[in-house]
Amino acid sequence: MHVKSAKSFRDRTQEFQSIAEQLKKSFSSGSVPDGPSSSSKSEEQRSAVAIQSEFNRRASKIGYGIHQTSQKLAKLAKLAKRTSVFDDPTKEIQELTVLIKQDITALNSAVVDLQLHCNSRNGSGNTYSDTNSHSATVVDDLKNQLMSTTKEFKDVLTLRTENLKVHENRRQLFSSTASKDSINPFVRQRPLAARSAASTSNAPPLPWANGTPSSSQSLPRKQMDGESQPLLQQQQQLVPLQDTYMQSRAEALQNVESTIHELSSIFNQLATLVSQQGEIAIRIDENMDDTLANVEGAQGALLKYLNSISSNRWLMIKIFFVLIFFLMVFLFFVA
Amino acid sequence: MALNLRQKHTECIARMLNLNQPVNATGTANEEVYKILIYDKFCQNILSPLIHVKDLRKHGVTLYFLIDKDRKPVHGVPAVYFVQPNQTNIQRVIADASRSLYDSFHLNFSSSIPRPLLEELASGTLNSDSINRISKVHDQYLEFVTLEDSLFSLAQKSSYVQLNDPSAGDREIEEIVERIVTGLFCVLATLAVVPIIRCPRGGPAEMVASALDQRLRDHLLSKNNLFTEGGSFVSSFQRPILCIFDRNFELSVGIQHDFRYRALVHDVLGLRLNRLSVQGEKGGMRSYELDSSDPFWVVNGSLEFPEVAVEIESQLNKYKKDVDEVNKRTGGTDGAEFDGTDLMGNTKHLMNAVNSLPELTERKQVIDKHTNIATVLLGEIKERSLDSYAKKENDMLVRGNIDRNELLGVLRGKGTKMDKLRFAVMYLISSENINQSEVESVEAALREFEVDTSAFQYVKKLKSLNASVATANLASRNNIVDWAEKIYAVTAGVKNLLSSDRQLALTRTVELLMDGKPNPEIDSYLVFDPRAPKSSSGTSHMRGPFKEAIVFMIGGGNYVEYGSLQEFAQCQQPVKHVIYGATEILTGVEFVEQLTLLGHKMGFGSNAAASTR
Repeated sequence: MHVKSAKSFRDRTQEFQSIAEQLKKSFSSGSVPDGPSSSSKSEEQRSAVAIQSEFNRRASKIGYGIHQTSQKLAKLAKLAKRTSVFDDPTKEIQELTVLIKQDITALNSAVVDLQLHCNSRNGSGNTYSDTNSHSATVVDDLKNQLMSTTKEFKDVLTLRTENLKVHENRRQLFSSTASKDSINPFVRQRPLAARSAASTSNAPPLPWANGTPSSSQSLPRKQMDGESQPLLQQQQQLVPLQDTYMQSRAEALQNVESTIHELSSIFNQLATLVSQQGEIAIRIDENMDDTLANVEGAQGALLKYLNSISSNRWLMIKIFFVLIFFLMVFLFFVA
Repeated sequence: MALNLRQKHTECIARMLNLNQPVNATGTANEEVYKILIYDKFCQNILSPLIHVKDLRKHGVTLYFLIDKDRKPVHGVPAVYFVQPNQTNIQRVIADASRSLYDSFHLNFSSSIPRPLLEELASGTLNSDSINRISKVHDQYLEFVTLEDSLFSLAQKSSYVQLNDPSAGDREIEEIVERIVTGLFCVLATLAVVPIIRCPRGGPAEMVASALDQRLRDHLLSKNNLFTEGGSFVSSFQRPILCIFDRNFELSVGIQHDFRYRALVHDVLGLRLNRLSVQGEKGGMRSYELDSSDPFWVVNGSLEFPEVAVEIESQLNKYKKDVDEVNKRTGGTDGAEFDGTDLMGNTKHLMNAVNSLPELTERKQVIDKHTNIATVLLGEIKERSLDSYAKKENDMLVRGNIDRNELLGVLRGKGTKMDKLRFAVMYLISSENINQSEVESVEAALREFEVDTSAFQYVKKLKSLNASVATANLASRNNIVDWAEKIYAVTAGVKNLLSSDRQLALTRTVELLMDGKPNPEIDSYLVFDPRAPKSSSGTSHMRGPFKEAIVFMIGGGNYVEYGSLQEFAQCQQPVKHVIYGATEILTGVEFVEQLTLLGHKMGFGSNAAASTR
């Protein structure tokens, strides 16, 4: 029985605005709102505002893009989890994977752009330091979100490769004798599709390792493509023998490749671990700026005091008097 | 429905950070709204135990500042202010608004902002023509500090001194009572419950209880009250009981030395707002955080210190074993096998090992942290022989007297001046009949060691004025004699005799209040029920057994009471929930300093230095 959570706060905005109305009415006969003084400040503010609003626009666009990508990723994860052997939505998964990869690459470059833009603005020097730290934090936040999305993508792809392996094993289990026949019609039916898939998966730049699982899908296909083409042209009796040999080689290669993938993912994880050590849980009141501000304040107060002492004419006169007094005493009592 | 104060508090703050719109279950909204958070000193203390910087980032807060700091403009972002409603803050807000530091201002006040200040804010911003920047004004009712799931503090300093000050006028006492009532009201608003209030007669407790009752009644009559609970049928089983006590009810707990881990860390090492600074093993100060995210602290906080050391040992051994296992599985000893088939298995093991690395590092960090703390504690305990203080004080309270030589021996032995003073005051409190010569010898011994005896004199005077300081302890002992009437109390008394854990009078009283059976000890307690109409006489059905309780101590509480209440709550069948709070959480040293201050005000000016600092 979930009670609708009662608000534990009170909105005083209406009250505030009604007070403002009342006061405005009482003021309206009196003073004129000072327009000219505000407009003089607005010149430099307008340019800063313009730059900042562009930054905001780009940042929000990137944030929206990341959000949409993560939604697509959720759909992909659902598709990849389906473990039925024959009803494999390979094409959809392939398309979605390519789409998400393009999105992530685009977002990555956009974030890098934004950071460059932010740095150039910070370097130009006519902005305020708080704005700089705000922009830097926004860029950091976007980078973190993108990184987590990429990690999720990598996890989904790993899951997908594992499922593929399971499928392959089951396929061999169920159809061990008919495998060669089934592979050939598979190849004959979609030779163009296989070739185009191989080409599209190699064409976009793959800056990181998670692009390679898709190429591992295409690799056995390509191998079977490349192998079966000359095989078909050769004699049919050699097909069964050479097919098994090729198959086993393909399997072994696949194993090695997946092992290398796993190792690379381990190394990636280690790298992120090491870099994430920097994100220790800091508390709000562990603020070095506070102490810095206090020390600066103390220094300012001391300087002021120093000034007041050093420029005090009365002090100098007093010192003179004391010196002269002691001189007199010295002269009287000693000499 | 367990009342988890910390969770509710964090939820309220999260909602406030989300510009007072309900937080989506999915987390981020479609459009990221980045904001800036500005708070004042008091609200910084509220926020820091609850929210870390990474949580702030999750809610879209990029920068966070103190309101007093000199800040520069940041365009295009809304600013969330979380401040106390007082004059200086309002002036600061007006200054910020007129300088147009931020795009829009969302003002959140930690308690209700009074009307005159609101008008001042309006007129100030109208004058500087920046009123359109103020987009929202909210009362957040969050003016208290939550330290753990069931522990809160109002962070009102020196309330014991102010309430017991002989020179305090009526107006000052009323002000203090008002502040306490505001704080308690905020706690109740955050928990969204209207409890039944019980308090002993007389003293600040009654004043606070009646003022709080009045406040709740007024509030419930207003249009949009904050306590909309389900329906008009509210059974007594769902409403908690709020017990308000005054520090004078049981003075000994605030002063005594305790040997449990949490109390020791607080008393000896100075735990403030869940944060601790100790000397690290390699020199240099290390700062640690001890709260509910630390699994060792949560489990072992109420153990006595030697047991804690044993626990640390066992955790360390378990960790070493796990690390060895991981090393073994990733093929350190047998040599790598480069079989084609086994390669897969190896890499799987490697992957599992890498996945378990973060968890292992975290465990190691926790173990290191507690080892460091325990080492420093051990040093202090040895130096001041705190274990003998704790044991002897416990003996004194249980037995009621102490051998004279032993007493003087302790006073002449190891320990800081404060330790000795505390021991002497405990002797005063625990002895049933004051032996004048003994007292004089104690005072002589104290003076010999240049200990400021004003606190001692104050407690002596207090004890002579009213025997209520002592009766709380006597009550727990007399029941053993009165066994014919209260069989339940007999079992408690026998348990007291057998176990070394003497149950605090506070815990006993809360137990009786929660049970609700008529008992001469608590019959004199007042009952306030803000929901019932004023002239109702049928409140007897509200006295049934309560499953939840909120215990509030005016004048300063500490971790000993908190620990004892939690123990009591856990031992019950079915498990009850007790939330403990106080005007401030004081160590023994701080409390005795307040007593010293009172002693000075009463004119027991000491012959030694003016303060024992």
